[in-house]
Amino acid sequence: MTTTTLTRPVAAAEPATTVPPAIRGRRPSIARLTALEIRKSLSTRSGLGMAIAASTLPAVAVGIIFALGQKIPSAAEMLAVFGTLVAMLTLAVGVLATAGEWTHHTVQTTFLTVPRRHRVLIAKYAGMALLGAAISAVVAGSTLAVAAVAAGSAFSWAGTGAAVLAVIGTGAAMTALGAGIGAAVANAPAALTGTYVLLLVAMNLLRAVKPTWADHADPLQNMADLISRQGTASAHIALLAAWVITAILAGTAVTNRRALA
Amino acid sequence: MITVSGLTKRYDRRTVVDDVSFTLEPGTITGFLGPNGAGKTTTMRMITGLIPATSGAALVDGRRYADQPNPAAVMGTLLDAGAVHPGRTARAHLRILADTIGVPARRVDEVLEQVDLTDAARRRIGAYSLGMRQRLGIAGALLADPPVLMFDEPANGLDPEGIRWMRALLRGHAARGGTVLLSSHLLSEVEHTVDRLLVIGRGRVVADAPITELLASDDVLVAARDLPALAGDLQAAGYRIAPAAGREPVLRVSGVTAEQIGVVAADRGHVLTELRPADHRLEDLFFELTTAA
Repeated sequence: MTTTTLTRPVAAAEPATTVPPAIRGRRPSIARLTALEIRKSLSTRSGLGMAIAASTLPAVAVGIIFALGQKIPSAAEMLAVFGTLVAMLTLAVGVLATAGEWTHHTVQTTFLTVPRRHRVLIAKYAGMALLGAAISAVVAGSTLAVAAVAAGSAFSWAGTGAAVLAVIGTGAAMTALGAGIGAAVANAPAALTGTYVLLLVAMNLLRAVKPTWADHADPLQNMADLISRQGTASAHIALLAAWVITAILAGTAVTNRRALA
Repeated sequence: MITVSGLTKRYDRRTVVDDVSFTLEPGTITGFLGPNGAGKTTTMRMITGLIPATSGAALVDGRRYADQPNPAAVMGTLLDAGAVHPGRTARAHLRILADTIGVPARRVDEVLEQVDLTDAARRRIGAYSLGMRQRLGIAGALLADPPVLMFDEPANGLDPEGIRWMRALLRGHAARGGTVLLSSHLLSEVEHTVDRLLVIGRGRVVADAPITELLASDDVLVAARDLPALAGDLQAAGYRIAPAAGREPVLRVSGVTAEQIGVVAADRGHVLTELRPADHRLEDLFFELTTAA
């Protein structure tokens, strides 16, 4: 009779590790959590791809526009157009940072590691604002660099500094807005669809029916006007702040109450 | 240590966990058993604060989970192996966890090796099998080498070698003074792994004792060359007998010692082929306890 030996010995129980017990008493700081939230957003193909696309495509587009001989009158107007377009992409980055966690169930791992949900949300909102600001800064810098090379003498550089600050600030705000909406809806496809339907369809329908109301309600319009210095800056800032605060408050309320069954 | 007292969860008028209390001591592995919908997962999620309890309390190492400054360093948890982003690599997932908990980066390589995922560490989790995701979840729970481990169905998707590995892992953890709470539907695996059984049925604890105590029985199993004749003699002696489950013909005799049976057999000239104490089978015990609940 032949006998057969087992193919591989079972590994013995592992010995104690060198992880120091001191780590048990240390709560991660908000700064560390914020950095981790940015890292989480950029650690997936979708998140990284969107960030790269948002950061690089505007400069390419500007280059093509100038190469085709099209005229862009000023830096402020160029930044208004591309800043707004990029904000629509960074909005999605923000949505995925929150709603994406619920869709992929990673929110369970997040809240098991950091059970105080408000700390996670603060880190997400701050992280997404910083990421949005960084992407917007890259867009501003790269499009201006292309314009500096390719634009003609008629290109106006007046108000560029203020426009750059506005691009960065509104980019941060829109990304944080996306994070708030994502936290409130807690489902990535629904949050993204709802956000774009609201901003692109509903606002344009409103503009067709009540243009004045749309001017006061549409965050993308107010963002473009702020960058290109149309209208009253404080009114635009107040409107954008209202959108961001409402989304953040809604997202926080929903997240704090939602059970993970 | 895990201490649960009066933990209750109600959804409208439905009570899914009803006044559950238990204490898990260091150095023990406790099997948490119950039929589907009995309240095991809800209980575990209340312990970790993922679901708010209607009433009662759950403490891990003397504090509520959410009050721990760094809870993942006190209790490693595996509740759902699917709670990972499919677009991340295993290494990226564990690095983020490690950085959140405050564990050195080298620890990621250690746990990946421990769960035999080193070669697959740079692959996206979306391409992982169920067993690989399970092992990744175990790796995440082990990152900080926490004193307490709580696993919900950890053997899901593991092959027999993996199950054996996990048994050795949990035994080693308890031997070093750790506490383990393990829920599973693999009764045979639970029987070989745990020291204590905590059985829940319809939201209530129906058994909480060492496994040897729960499986012990007063009955004796006996087989003989002439079993029908032995059965008749035992009944004539006033003993209660029943056929025992199994392939071979064996009698189960209740409320009697092996010596008493031996005396009857010797007096009547029976040749015994088997005589031993009867243990409850965990499966029978499980159904007995959870059906009665």
